[in-house]
Amino acid sequence: MPDEMTTDPTPGAPPAAPSAAETPVHPQNSELVSFAIGVAGWLLPGLGHALIKMWGRAVACFLVVGALVFLGVGMRGNVFSSEGSDAFGMLGYAADLGTGSFYFAARALETDGSDVAHAEGDYGTRFLAAAGVLNLLAALHAYEAARGRKA
Amino acid sequence: MISPAEFKLTHFQSMVLFALLISIAFGFLSRRRTSERVKYIIWSLFLFLLIGVGIGWAMYPFSR
Repeated sequence: MPDEMTTDPTPGAPPAAPSAAETPVHPQNSELVSFAIGVAGWLLPGLGHALIKMWGRAVACFLVVGALVFLGVGMRGNVFSSEGSDAFGMLGYAADLGTGSFYFAARALETDGSDVAHAEGDYGTRFLAAAGVLNLLAALHAYEAARGRKA
Repeated sequence: MISPAEFKLTHFQSMVLFALLISIAFGFLSRRRTSERVKYIIWSLFLFLLIGVGIGWAMYPFSR
């Protein structure tokens, strides 16, 4: 592919400056700081992006994950607990935990329990699980962006 | 204790809402410029709905 072809540098010449495509958009943080940013993004949706000043993404993550959790609870979806006896329950618990602090908000809000006998409740369960997985994806994105890998 | 409103949505309304929210999140996470985000969100939403309705129709003969 022509775009990736490079010519050998002249012997003795100083190394060329990195091209714009190689330059990270955000300054690289240490591994520990990047990890902390990822964890913060998991604990509170959008916080990871807010810490690296990606405001649009921070607001979008917070609102979308919050809306999915709110709708999931409102549709009386199943908020899984750690007491699940089968693999599906444990998988659901892992997905729900992905929402971080919103998991506890969901448990507090769903006072009447779940109702998966109806279609709304089944959809609500999917909304809650999708919120968790989406937040994990966003936290991973914030971690990678903090490392300067992508923006 | 706060109790949220209970939502009664049809299958189609639930699918559209889900597709819209996920498309918005994907658009913001994967694109940087506003115009690119809008294009991505519209395209993603369209594909979500097209594939969702398509799978629904594909399963229809086996529903009875």
